[in-house]
Amino acid sequence: MKRLLLLLAAVLLAACTSMGKVEGEQVINERLVVHVPGGWNRVVDRAEKAPYESWTQEGIPLDHLRLWGAVRPGQPLLTKWATFSRAEDAKERRVPTFRTGLTPEKLVRLFEEVYATAGTVTITRVEPTLFAGHKGVRFEFTLARRSDDLDLRGVAWVAVRPDPYWGEELYAASFVAPKLSFYERLLPMAEEVVKSARVRNTAI
Amino acid sequence: MGMPMTDRRAFLRSACRHCVGLGALGGLSAFAADLSGVKVPQRFGRPAIDTDEGGLWGLMDREEQRLRRSPLTIHDKAFRQYLQDIVCKLAGDFCPDIRVYPVRVPHFNAMMAPNGMMVVWSGLMLRAQNEAQLAAVLGHELGHYMERHTVEQLRAQKEHAVLSTLVGLVGGVGTFLGQISLSASLFAFSREHEGRADRIGVRLMKHGGYDAREAANVWDNLLQEMKVTGGKEAGKSGDMFDTHPTSAGRRDELLALAGGDAGDKGEARYRQAIAPMRLGWLQDEVKRGQYEESLVLFDRMLARDAKDAEVLYARGEVYRLREDGGDVERALADLDRASRLPRPPAETFRSLGLIHKERNDRVAAAQAFQSYLAQAPQAADAAMVRSYLTEFQP
Repeated sequence: MKRLLLLLAAVLLAACTSMGKVEGEQVINERLVVHVPGGWNRVVDRAEKAPYESWTQEGIPLDHLRLWGAVRPGQPLLTKWATFSRAEDAKERRVPTFRTGLTPEKLVRLFEEVYATAGTVTITRVEPTLFAGHKGVRFEFTLARRSDDLDLRGVAWVAVRPDPYWGEELYAASFVAPKLSFYERLLPMAEEVVKSARVRNTAI
Repeated sequence: MGMPMTDRRAFLRSACRHCVGLGALGGLSAFAADLSGVKVPQRFGRPAIDTDEGGLWGLMDREEQRLRRSPLTIHDKAFRQYLQDIVCKLAGDFCPDIRVYPVRVPHFNAMMAPNGMMVVWSGLMLRAQNEAQLAAVLGHELGHYMERHTVEQLRAQKEHAVLSTLVGLVGGVGTFLGQISLSASLFAFSREHEGRADRIGVRLMKHGGYDAREAANVWDNLLQEMKVTGGKEAGKSGDMFDTHPTSAGRRDELLALAGGDAGDKGEARYRQAIAPMRLGWLQDEVKRGQYEESLVLFDRMLARDAKDAEVLYARGEVYRLREDGGDVERALADLDRASRLPRPPAETFRSLGLIHKERNDRVAAAQAFQSYLAQAPQAADAAMVRSYLTEFQP
């Protein structure tokens, strides 16, 4: 019976996601401002407080554009892990967490770990970039996803900005879609959003 | 991520009734610690399609089709043949009925489906120290197949079988509860089945000429690795132990079953067979980001072979990325050591260069980056590294 209840709880939780259309100016975590010309769908998972926003064109199993705004040192980039539980009294697992002083390579590694929880990640290109008006790193990768045996392609932009109070803040975007047809078709729409990114300064 | 996804692999896992060490260990002691009563069953054919067993086979056939196409399945022909040969050495008459699929997942697991499909994860193959240890796991899985434990479970747990269908339909359940733990608790093999599979496994190992004592080392090593996460329950639940609970008791039982005769360990043969894939598996392990667990594994591997350039590189990477007190020095020592050994991974030089760069040692950084580019001119980050070299020029 207990097991049945667990299963039921899982089903109910799964039903807790909702979708809404996003258009025009959007602000992520009160700081990352993007302009959305085409229209995306925002997916909200009420079961977790993700440190990023998830948007999609064709639905989350296919493509997603994730946006991280003003992540502070000590904040994880991910809160929910896809697989594998742990003993109840075991130490907390390590979660990819932003900290100050990370080199571009270490920033790439942080996001590689985020996606490695879903499958096998291979970085295929790394280059300097500007994101949200700040120097950063852009990288491309492939992801062989375990949950559905899908070959995906991805790209991410990561920039770190000095902050007088926190030391540094991280801003990032990543776009992932099936290698076959979807990635190339949807990438320009993701790039449009990414290009419009800027940081909103807060008056403290 | 985090969204419910159709996860048919979860169903596969559940219907496969895994496996390697499922079931509590207490049950093992119920068996006498000798192999006198262990009989290897006769080979059997495909069950009729209108039986429950036939239906289960049909479902597994479909999953097998999926697995064949999965980008995570390792297609290296020589390696596939190597695994198949080990199975045949162990399985005897059953050889033509078993198909082994190595799959790239950086955790310790193996599964046996009732239709003869066997799945072994790369995390397990990375951790096996020799062919005998891998044979121990494969032999245990074969034990489940030969005695058709899955079908017995299905008949004994009709109610759970219904649930397994539900898990398959809903998918994504695992995203919330941990696929493994949910299916393990629902679909664990009985203690009796686990004990019997262990005994058949050891029997097959001895028959195949392997050193059966290595079966005990599989569990011993795994337990050491999991102890690092702490907690009284370490080694009983969580992570891989949801499906592979183990204890000192099991080790002793296996040792007793193995008896005193030494046999073939096949360490050099095994190292050679996994060589083309091994660096990728080590990198997958680092990318798990569970640095303390990886360090136990890498320390163990280096204790066995201190001149293993690939593992020195991997351990150096863990230290470089973790950056706890003294880690940078440890990383430098490992990477430097690796770089002086024959055939170090090209990435060794990149990591060395990055550390030197952070420490403002431009000469050493430039030297390391040049070695990296010479070995891997087409690397994904070659342009980035070239730009560093330009920066360094006065």
